[in-house]
Amino acid sequence: MTTAAPQLIQATLAQLNKVILGKEQPVRLALTCLLANGHLLLEDLPGMGKTTLAHALAQVCGLEYKRVQFTSDLLPADLIGASVFESQSSSFRFHPGPVFSQLFLADELNRATPKAQSALLEAMEEGQVSVDGTTHRLPSPFFVIATQNPQSQSGTFPLPESQLDRFLLRVSLGYPGPQVERELLKGRNGRQALANLPQVLNGQRLKALQSLVPQVKLSDNLLDYIQRLIAHTRQSDVCHLGLSPRGAQALVKSAQSWALLQGRGHVLPEDVQAVFVAVAGHRLVGREETQGEQLARHILDKVDVIGSGHG
Amino acid sequence: MGNGLGTGGNNYITYSGMIWLLAAQLVVMLPFALHLPVWLIPLVLFAAGWRLWVLSGGASQPGTLLKLGLMLFGIGGLFLSGLKFPSLEAMSALLLLGFAFKSLEVIQRRDALVVVFIGYFLVALHFLYTQSILAGLYGVVSLVVLTGALIGTQQTVAEFTAVQNVRFNLRLAAVMLLQCVPLMLLLFVFAPRLQPLWSLPMLTDQAKTGISDRMTPGDIASLSQSAELAFRVTFKGERPAQNQLYWRGLVLNHFDGHEWRQFEQTPDLWQMKELVRQEYAFRPDAVQVAGTPIEYEAVYEKTGQPWLFTLSPTLKVAGDVLQAADFRVMAAQELQAPLLLKATSYPQALRDVQLASSLRELALQLPTDGDLRSRELAQRLRQETGSEQAYIDKVLARFREQQFFYTLRPPTLGDSNTIDEFLFESQRGFCAHYAGSFVFLMRAAGIPARVVAGYQGGEWNAQGQYLAVHQYDAHAWAEVWQQGKGWVQIDPTAVIAPQRVEQGLEAAVQAEGSFLQGQLLSTRHLPWLNGLRHKLDAVQYGWQRWVLGYDQTTQMDLLHAILGELTLLRVATLVGGVLVVILLGWLLMLGLARRHAREALEHQLYRRFCAILAKRGVVRQPGQAPGAFAQQAAAALPAQSDNIRAFTQVYETLCYLPDASGYAKHTRQLKALLGKLS
Repeated sequence: MTTAAPQLIQATLAQLNKVILGKEQPVRLALTCLLANGHLLLEDLPGMGKTTLAHALAQVCGLEYKRVQFTSDLLPADLIGASVFESQSSSFRFHPGPVFSQLFLADELNRATPKAQSALLEAMEEGQVSVDGTTHRLPSPFFVIATQNPQSQSGTFPLPESQLDRFLLRVSLGYPGPQVERELLKGRNGRQALANLPQVLNGQRLKALQSLVPQVKLSDNLLDYIQRLIAHTRQSDVCHLGLSPRGAQALVKSAQSWALLQGRGHVLPEDVQAVFVAVAGHRLVGREETQGEQLARHILDKVDVIGSGHG
Repeated sequence: MGNGLGTGGNNYITYSGMIWLLAAQLVVMLPFALHLPVWLIPLVLFAAGWRLWVLSGGASQPGTLLKLGLMLFGIGGLFLSGLKFPSLEAMSALLLLGFAFKSLEVIQRRDALVVVFIGYFLVALHFLYTQSILAGLYGVVSLVVLTGALIGTQQTVAEFTAVQNVRFNLRLAAVMLLQCVPLMLLLFVFAPRLQPLWSLPMLTDQAKTGISDRMTPGDIASLSQSAELAFRVTFKGERPAQNQLYWRGLVLNHFDGHEWRQFEQTPDLWQMKELVRQEYAFRPDAVQVAGTPIEYEAVYEKTGQPWLFTLSPTLKVAGDVLQAADFRVMAAQELQAPLLLKATSYPQALRDVQLASSLRELALQLPTDGDLRSRELAQRLRQETGSEQAYIDKVLARFREQQFFYTLRPPTLGDSNTIDEFLFESQRGFCAHYAGSFVFLMRAAGIPARVVAGYQGGEWNAQGQYLAVHQYDAHAWAEVWQQGKGWVQIDPTAVIAPQRVEQGLEAAVQAEGSFLQGQLLSTRHLPWLNGLRHKLDAVQYGWQRWVLGYDQTTQMDLLHAILGELTLLRVATLVGGVLVVILLGWLLMLGLARRHAREALEHQLYRRFCAILAKRGVVRQPGQAPGAFAQQAAAALPAQSDNIRAFTQVYETLCYLPDASGYAKHTRQLKALLGKLS
């Protein structure tokens, strides 16, 4: 780990917290997701600061930022781009869509039709798009933040489980605390703060930080704990759908990233616990009508952190 | 089994399995080398070595003809080794031969099973030769190795190093055998002890040891050089004084001028039994009971002879024994195994107050000629003294006052006139000389007398509270019949060497230094080892008394003690009950073994840490990470916060820092911190 890494991370977090007040945990999770090279799903009611968070993240990290408001008449080409005939050269030329950016904010993802949704999700998974038989690489780093309104709201197309699995973490911001709320009421302008936000990272630095994540060490004891957690989610009397191997990998990667954010070179059970709800919440499906998040919390309480072999 | 896990239907024994088998065969066969031809041991090495060579690809499997030739060769070797056919030895040698050769054709697992099962049988067979506690322990070791080989031949994949393999297999074998112990005890205690329905001519050429049925001066001296055990006795009540312990073995009636024998013709065992059942039978009315009885239990070592040794006269006796008119007790069979006898004797009782004429005749027999000087001496002394009693006293006084010496190294006497030679020339000898010449003098004066052979005294083992009688306690003394008194026991040796009957042979010949002189290595010359020797002997006695001596009678006594009245239902209920308890124990053990996958040491220590804090009111939830719990606990128990944090830190280092070195150091730290906390 380069010596500068902890300071860089701390500075980044400090800047973000200036914009999103009183939400250290979700901010940290968002940065975790970014460092782990995964995509983030922000789920909240409208007006909770989702867009502000995405915007701030892009600004602080020095990423090229594009935003698309998803609507029910959005077409895949509106995202990916299209080949257009140019009369001067008498040929088709590809005009890249907004998805060709380093940080792409998909606002209210679940208001678009499944067709448009899946076009984005394919791009997220592959890191590239194919139009008319030509493959175009997306820029790197490529980070998608999708916001989503709770599905009970009208005019939404809920994302299927298979697509939710593509998001590394799902984070909710939640209502602000009374202190922060009071400040907002007093007229504090978030957009204003956003404009003054200094850039801490750039693409290069971000990539360097991302490359540190896999180097964070995992002990056998910790993997035991992770496997105990996973095994518990797969018990049929607990969950209808347990964590997939991809989900398990996501858990390990996020925990490593979280540990890096804490400035540690190895993962502790606390790191796993910190990211577990965000990782598992949207992946687990309960037996009854339990919410995935509640279920994840329940599992964390149930599974013993210590125990079994090694030595 | 054929298509077991990962074996791909491989039923063949591996190289390491073969080595296991060879080791087991060697262990099983080794003790037989003491009793059977020694060349059977190299034979098993040869056969297994060949098989190993074949396994490693050095040679091809020998053909049927070759194997047949080898087998014939081996059987020929057995014939040449001087074994008698048919006898038990020949049969066991044949079995061992087959056992040794079998390893040549052990290819598949089922062949190994044959070898191992025969091995189990051979372990049992060895007990026919010796039943000492040492042999028992060796048998247990053999069982462990055999079971290890049974496991070893079933293993296919070599996951272990050689050392690990040995340790694993032996441990597993030991555990399996330990689980069998309750069942073994159940069978030992409750299985019916049946007499054998038939028996082979057993161990025909086995040496006969101990007192023999004839006495020439010299016999008992050679016995006195043997420290071997003859028998052990426990007394129910008070132990009689040492000089009262005359263990009567047999009575020697007939003297031919050189040798004392029982009768004119030496009867074999069958004839002897006939004799004892008919004209020489014991008549209980020949004994007038007087004095206090002595109750005792004796365990006799195997001797190959039927003689038993009891305090005389014995009235009550349990077991398969015969009693004769001369008050001896003898076994119905030659002793091939230790024998337990319970007897009650009345040493002060009067015996044969009315002497039967046949017995009188026997007790007055003298050779027709020879030893004229002694005969003349007897006549002269008898005439000088008025009464029989005075004559007896006179003869004893003569032994005491003249230059007679007690020695284990007497000069050799000629073939005839031995009594004259001893009484008038050498005047040096031991019990056999004195008893023989005393009886001769009595008979020459017309007083019925006879020689009694047996043991005198014994070594008291305070550890085991029993008396051990050894071969060097062998003794001969005399009995004289007197009007109104019956048979009176007189020991002329006691007159010359009173220490012999009061302190034993060692004290009697101390000046001479001839006690066990042929056995320089004997531990008896090292007094400081005697305590240990006594202890070991006590253990052996316990083994004989309670394990080897556990026969039908003892079994019945035990069952009576447990159940009271014996009915089939009660015995069945008891045995069934014990069996159910054993089965339940096994099930319980299986369950426990399965549930308890033991946690690593650091986790055990952490759980102890949690338990200590829980006692102080800080309970850890299972989902609480060590760090979070430490914070909670440190906040709740500020006095201990340093220790709590330190413990948690060491634990986290140990568990979550993957390249943390010094496991031992860390666990020691954890233990030390735990000590501080509690």
